[in-house]
Amino acid sequence: MTEMNMVQALNSTLDLLMSKDSSVVLLGEDIGKDGGVFRVTDGLQAKYGPERVIDTPLVELGIVGMAIGMAVNGMKPIAEIQFQDFIYTAMDQIINQMAKIRYRSGGDYTVPMVLRTPYGGGIKGGLYHSQSGETYFAHTAGLTVVTPSNPYDAKGLLLSSMQLGDPVIFLEPKRLYRSIKNDVPDGEYTVPIGEAKKIREGNSISIITYGSMVPTVLSTVEKNNVDAEIIDLRTLLPMDLNAIMDTVKKTGRVMIVHEAPRTLGMGAEISAIISERAIDSLLGPILRVTGPDSPFPYRMEDYYLPNEKRIMKAVNKLMTFG
Amino acid sequence: MSEESDERSKFIKAYTAMVLSRTLDKKIMSAQRQGRVGFYTPTMGQEALQIGASMALESDDLIYGYYRDVPLMLHRGVPMENIINQIMGNSADEAKGRQMPSHYTAKAFHFMSVQSPVATNLPLAAGAAYAMVYQKKKSVVLTTFGDGSTSTPDFHAAMNLAGVFNLPVIFLCENNGWAISLPVEKQTKVEIWTKAEAYGIRGIRVNGNNFVETYNAVLEAVKRAREGKGATLIDAISFRMGPHSTSDDPTKYRSETVEEGSEKDPLVVTENILKGKKYIDDKMIDGIKTKAQKLVDDKFNECEKIKPPEPMTAFTDVYKNMTWMLKEEVEDIL
Ligand SMILES: Cc1ncc(C[n+]2csc(CCOP(=O)(O)OP(=O)(O)O)c2C)c(N)n1
Ligand SMILES: [Mg+2]
Repeated sequence: MTEMNMVQALNSTLDLLMSKDSSVVLLGEDIGKDGGVFRVTDGLQAKYGPERVIDTPLVELGIVGMAIGMAVNGMKPIAEIQFQDFIYTAMDQIINQMAKIRYRSGGDYTVPMVLRTPYGGGIKGGLYHSQSGETYFAHTAGLTVVTPSNPYDAKGLLLSSMQLGDPVIFLEPKRLYRSIKNDVPDGEYTVPIGEAKKIREGNSISIITYGSMVPTVLSTVEKNNVDAEIIDLRTLLPMDLNAIMDTVKKTGRVMIVHEAPRTLGMGAEISAIISERAIDSLLGPILRVTGPDSPFPYRMEDYYLPNEKRIMKAVNKLMTFG
Repeated sequence: MSEESDERSKFIKAYTAMVLSRTLDKKIMSAQRQGRVGFYTPTMGQEALQIGASMALESDDLIYGYYRDVPLMLHRGVPMENIINQIMGNSADEAKGRQMPSHYTAKAFHFMSVQSPVATNLPLAAGAAYAMVYQKKKSVVLTTFGDGSTSTPDFHAAMNLAGVFNLPVIFLCENNGWAISLPVEKQTKVEIWTKAEAYGIRGIRVNGNNFVETYNAVLEAVKRAREGKGATLIDAISFRMGPHSTSDDPTKYRSETVEEGSEKDPLVVTENILKGKKYIDDKMIDGIKTKAQKLVDDKFNECEKIKPPEPMTAFTDVYKNMTWMLKEEVEDIL
């Protein structure tokens, strides 16, 4: 066990993966000598050389396309997009190649790779260094989408992602990169893909959340002594249906919290799943506390991010419903 | 005015803008270290090429620039407050404090709002040029970007479009040798100006540290564009004297530097050109620098007192009319 933040956990996991399997390579912008703008790949090029830790030219669609070509041919690439906001030029590669190769080739060809990228606000990054675009990926069959909320899960999910045999979009909440420390086991373990985690037991209300909002939800609930159960989804596609159903049936009151805009965000799908399958368990409406349907602002970013006040407003509304 | 005194005043104006820009650059960098500014991408080293380009433009030409274009803006006449207010994201900022620092907008000067994803302004420049031709306007479009940006699909798409439609665009590559940590030799296997040939447009290379050379090259490109002779790609070779941004530590990846005040510093190059022509002497240089420092300090202090934007401004201008969803959300937030 070593106490680490998420950057250290990811860095040491990449190191572990590379040391065990020579088919693992990293590629991205400024990941080599510079060690990545968030330092996630720090020191790895010095250790494994520029053939395995590849500083690419500035071309996201090239990074993703090349990684797919490597993955199809026996390598296990882990590609980095410097900020999730810049992934959009690679969307055709992601949606029309990465996600569809297994299907379109009758299962002949597969794409075992991981595409890592930091997402989310709270670092004063404005419009283009703050976006939470998980819905774009979670709307695409063929992709698997995960997001850790702490260093332990970051390592476990990365190890699982590399064993999956299909492409994984690995979304790293950059606001939490250095703000949380966990004891992380030194060896291998996994956090299974598709498995949520109940991070707090409660009886009155269920709060379903993930990634960057997890610490905010947890501290709000604890500070205000809410008898809330908190589910950290960890995998966004496919979601953990059992974890959602169990908590809904237990508390009958459900809230969803995410940073991405409300319209067609993950909350919309979770809400639909619940209303299709467990409407008779509900004691009130399913409420969403999310980012607004507007671009992410710079100076006023605190107004954008869901916070204690807004979460408690929804909690109170739900607890006093009916 | 005689031709010589015309050139003299043009050159002194160029040098004055360079000094102003350098002074502002250093002010913002030190303010950032003191926590008074959130972030900044310094422009140190790229002053001469930008100002050379600006000198060749008319006031109704359009600019699709990028996050390092402060010298160009200042030379064009954009008030310094516009730049400082943007960096502070205060209520006087033209874009209402919405964008991260270094993402300027100056509509009155036809300086298009800057985005972060690099080179995505280039196809827009092609579209803007098409619009100018279509509307029978004489304006041309200058678009700027870094050496790293030439690897993007947007760069190649825009060059191809400009070639196919014979558009009045000047593609000015501010080749500072680096894209964060990647040196230009690892960005592309050929010299950037040679890429023009593949798209049937003119490509040239200039010494970007020499403002006269850049000015003449852009002037020629502008003239050709206005005459309907199409686009030019100008590879202006320069050097990024500072870090990529205030978040960057260049000692991790490079050892070479260009020291301020050294022979390679474009300000020194410019001083030598002006001194050679006897347009300026050390006393005038001192005067220009002293005046710039006072102006920068005064403006900075003034702008720092301006209050932040009203929270509501975070949510307006998404559309002409706010959606019902956003109305509901804003009500919950505020
Ligand atoms: C599409 C895209 N990918 C990545 C980034 C992150 N990034 C910001 S600036 C930069 C380097 C740009 O280098 P260059 O084009 O040479 O311009 P310079 O900063 O050197 O002036 C990178 C990779 C970005 N802004 N946009
Ligand atoms: Mg550059």
